[in-house]
Amino acid sequence: MRTGLVLTAAVVVALLASAAPVRSHHAFAAEFDAAKPVKLKGTLIKWDMVNPHSWFHIGVKDPDGKVTTWLIEGGSPNQLIRMGVTKNTVQIGTELLVDGYLAKDGSNKAVGRDFVLPDGKRLFLGGSAGNVGGPVK
Amino acid sequence: MRHLRIVAAGLVALACAVPAVILGQSAAPARSAAAGATSAVSKPYAVPRTADGQPDLQGFWTNSTYVPLERPANVNKEFYTPEEALAVEKRAAERESEQTEPGTVADVHYDFTQFGLDRSQSTFARSLRTSLIVDPPDGKIPSLTAEGQKRAADRAAARKAMGGQYDAVENMPIGSRCIVMAGAGPPMMNAGYNANYQIVQAPGVVMILTEMIHDVRIIPLDGRAAPPQGMRQWTGVSRGRWEGTTLVVETTNFNGKNPFRGGSEAMKVTERFTRISPDRIQYRFTVEDSSTWTKPWTAEMRMAKTNGPIFEFACHESNYGIANILAGARADEKRAAETAAKKGSN
Repeated sequence: MRTGLVLTAAVVVALLASAAPVRSHHAFAAEFDAAKPVKLKGTLIKWDMVNPHSWFHIGVKDPDGKVTTWLIEGGSPNQLIRMGVTKNTVQIGTELLVDGYLAKDGSNKAVGRDFVLPDGKRLFLGGSAGNVGGPVK
Repeated sequence: MRHLRIVAAGLVALACAVPAVILGQSAAPARSAAAGATSAVSKPYAVPRTADGQPDLQGFWTNSTYVPLERPANVNKEFYTPEEALAVEKRAAERESEQTEPGTVADVHYDFTQFGLDRSQSTFARSLRTSLIVDPPDGKIPSLTAEGQKRAADRAAARKAMGGQYDAVENMPIGSRCIVMAGAGPPMMNAGYNANYQIVQAPGVVMILTEMIHDVRIIPLDGRAAPPQGMRQWTGVSRGRWEGTTLVVETTNFNGKNPFRGGSEAMKVTERFTRISPDRIQYRFTVEDSSTWTKPWTAEMRMAKTNGPIFEFACHESNYGIANILAGARADEKRAAETAAKKGSN
């Protein structure tokens, strides 16, 4: 379609230079090691809904049955709270599979690249709040 | 680390929005059809008033947007058509939802989408503007003066002399240290996420709370004298007044430690807040700093009404990332020293 072709030409350049990606509050790659990916399966002990980033405390059981507490860093909780998420949305004891990267200092900390529930669903996905976008005003 | 599911959801939302945008344009009077036009809408909007008679700006607002501050290269018009604007938004939303490559530095992060932090997941003020900057007309920040260039070079040299970014906490970005977000302003630039504000008015005063990192400006409207030169603050010192239904806020006395776009302590920011509809504030700001830029420049954006409350951003209290990063840097150094020692002994 002619209109489509014109649009394509006009917009392509603009697309390349559109708004910058979301900026992080701090450098995660300085805190966690890209060369040390980890998968942790555990149960939720506590979720600190704090800023600038939330922390999930999970108990990970080793083959001998010993449980170790790991701290997993996630995102700011503010938008989730606007979406109606509360501390009770994820019950204590919920089993979580965390796919992430280990802390550089060797402590029991990791960043949670993905938080997955036992049924394979990812935590919190699909939410949106407010009148997203809406008409031009 | 992004996910196709969200991309799909975003596309549906954008597709649904197309008729709304087109309707919004065609239904509006000709003069206001260009979204973000500098004038108020042709049809007078009766701005609500507070109990003491001020135009009422109170509530929760966001300036989240996909419109960049400066006009992209090779775009030479002030406004996109609605179709073009949607295509730009769509591409930007897709970029936000893109997957990063496992094992790369970029992948070492939580997923913004999982925490609802993509712009496409929350309220933003849709606009046809190709840049927030409206003056100069080319949509670009004016050139730096010779003094501005020298200052930028001096600052870079001073920063370099401090050592590596993770050598000491003082070397880390002030936003990471929870002191003030780089774009908290004034002028209030949209944060990458949580780009929200709360405005509260009382007789003779306006309060603006910035969500990201948590900054509060208490703006007196009583015509008090300008602050003394020696009184310097991270977010400057603001004085406000009403011009008709527009709140005009002039801010000076920055401390120069959080330079906006390379500005100096002498920068003056004039903001103009005008409520143009129940759910939009027109926000314009002009930056004047003759020691930095060859001329003043002005930008304009919409603030869209959003939902609150704003959850506390007690940033220092739980900023464990700082200690973890410094511990990580020391661990890296230790490993490097051990490796070097091993090589030396071989």
